[in-house]
Amino acid sequence: MKLYEFEGADLMEKYRIPVPKRQLISSLKENISIPFPLVVKAQVLSGDRKKAGGIIFVDKPTALASALKNLLGKKISNEKVEKILIEEKVKAVAEYYVSFSFSGALRAPVLAISSKGGSGISDAFTFQINMIAGLESFFVRQALSEAKFPSKDINPVSEIIMNLWKLFTEEKVVLAEINPLLKTSSGSFFACDAKVDYGKRRSVESMDGDIAVIASGGGASLINIDALLLAGGRPANYAEYSGNPKKEIVEKMTQEVLAKPGIKACWVVGGTASFTDIYETMNGFLEGLKKISPKPDFPFVIRRDGPRTKEAQKLLADFAKKEGYKFFIFGSETPMVETAQTVVDLAYGKKPLKAKK
Amino acid sequence: MPILIDKKTKVLIQGITGTEGARACKEMLEYGTKVLAGVRPGAGGESIEGVPVYDTVKEALKHHQKINTSLIIVPAKNVKDAALEAIFAGIPLINILTEYVPPIDSSIIVAWAKEFNVRVIGCSSIGIISPPLCKVGSIGSAEIRHMFKKGSIGVISKSGGMTAELAVVLGKYGFGESTVVGIGADTVPGSDFVDMVKLFEKDKQTKAIVVFGEVGGAGEELLSEYVKKNKVKKPIVALIGGKFTHMLPSGTVLGHAGAIVSHGKGGYDSKVKALKKSGISIASTPEEVPILLKKKLLKNK
Repeated sequence: MKLYEFEGADLMEKYRIPVPKRQLISSLKENISIPFPLVVKAQVLSGDRKKAGGIIFVDKPTALASALKNLLGKKISNEKVEKILIEEKVKAVAEYYVSFSFSGALRAPVLAISSKGGSGISDAFTFQINMIAGLESFFVRQALSEAKFPSKDINPVSEIIMNLWKLFTEEKVVLAEINPLLKTSSGSFFACDAKVDYGKRRSVESMDGDIAVIASGGGASLINIDALLLAGGRPANYAEYSGNPKKEIVEKMTQEVLAKPGIKACWVVGGTASFTDIYETMNGFLEGLKKISPKPDFPFVIRRDGPRTKEAQKLLADFAKKEGYKFFIFGSETPMVETAQTVVDLAYGKKPLKAKK
Repeated sequence: MPILIDKKTKVLIQGITGTEGARACKEMLEYGTKVLAGVRPGAGGESIEGVPVYDTVKEALKHHQKINTSLIIVPAKNVKDAALEAIFAGIPLINILTEYVPPIDSSIIVAWAKEFNVRVIGCSSIGIISPPLCKVGSIGSAEIRHMFKKGSIGVISKSGGMTAELAVVLGKYGFGESTVVGIGADTVPGSDFVDMVKLFEKDKQTKAIVVFGEVGGAGEELLSEYVKKNKVKKPIVALIGGKFTHMLPSGTVLGHAGAIVSHGKGGYDSKVKALKKSGISIASTPEEVPILLKKKLLKNK
């Protein structure tokens, strides 16, 4: 879960990192109280917002009005602009880059810095943080010196970096980035774009296709969607639950996935679980399905195995029979990826519908 | 001999009184694993499935000096504390099952584990099984434990769910496993593919290695470098999930915390290309894994 810039800026401020005067607006009617010149910034999560025209510099009210009118409601990288951040323009003499993130290879957090920041940044100096010592100021000063930051800037920038570290560790985020960190002619610094990512995921990621997918297992879900594409299927979404969830979680996910219009089939798929209660999770799926109206008449291919599978299969078969759903039920005797072909054939009408049970 | 755990393994469970902890305890005992003690601060003196519970790891070790493995199943916010307690007590192998541990906490655990020469498997590991001798964690629970059979294939998986699925398809072709390790797919892993391949290389029971990887992280690329540089002789077959992820925006987080969509390095194509370069076979489906293994083992004879 990435934060929007305005949320990131609020967080930076909370951790005593200087940010420019700013105002968030979501309609054209609001009064702007910040003096010109201003920067008008579309609030979208896409990384290449500047290139896409999402940042406009204005120095008079008429330019501001037209910039706002131009941006509000516009689409940037498939994202609709619903909020705009208006910021005091900082007159900069230098643009720096600073961030904390994790390196999977080093298995540690890394500090990345560059004295040539801005939107086109490609290279930065990176330093692994020793997590036994934690981050001490001397380490940051050394890093800034090695990265050729001007002597005069080493103290003020290291103070900002120490505050950013506090944010990074206390908020337990996976990315905290300031780019650019602007330096004014009077030697003040301002964080002029904040990127903060909590690394959390949404329960359902929408895709363009027409086969709804409710998958279990982080790894199996990837293998299965790969197989679905290989079989000629078009996934409508990516959705996955794992561990041993309560039935309400599966219920909610089922409702969210099946709410999408134009679904031709639904694939409920997972591997052979070690400790997921299959009965509980399938019960959750049925609870969710009951809440979908109109009642789906497309086929459901269900492939799952693990603890309490027999009870779960009986529950599903009885439900389908009683309520008149088209369920095709499989266990570990049928390879997961083979059922990808089954759901594709059923969805796109290559095989006559014939319920297995 | 299998790797990591065998009949000499003596386990401590930190978080033994929780739902998942108590369940893992019961299933491990049923499998024949020697669970000597549990820890739950404030519950000292109680017992779970006949296993005594202590307030601290140190106290448990005082009464059970043979403990050589700790299984951690405590809430995510307590994992760093519990792991450091085990590390400072000098337990040489720690298996962490808890999911959603903040990577900043994992990086502290990893740093101290290195300092004390302790091996950490996880976080987000499903456990370890060396059939039929011993299992630690939730892997191969009661109803599906027969799917894991003694054999010559070492399995390393980022995914817990895929461990049983792989055991099933291996079994269909007459293969069994030496040890199956769920390493988890966190951003900051305690152990990675390379760490485990090093152990399987030395293990006489293991004739070939199966790896389940996925998009995100650097584990697969690091494995490829290691295999090439050290001329690993044992055949390796890899199954990599997430080919489709080029259809999702870069940065999307998938099922596992470390499975992050990337359109360049860390992405599916980058991983597969790297692995192939070092002679590792890529299976396109789970069912292809045993077929490729047969081919490779035949060639090696």
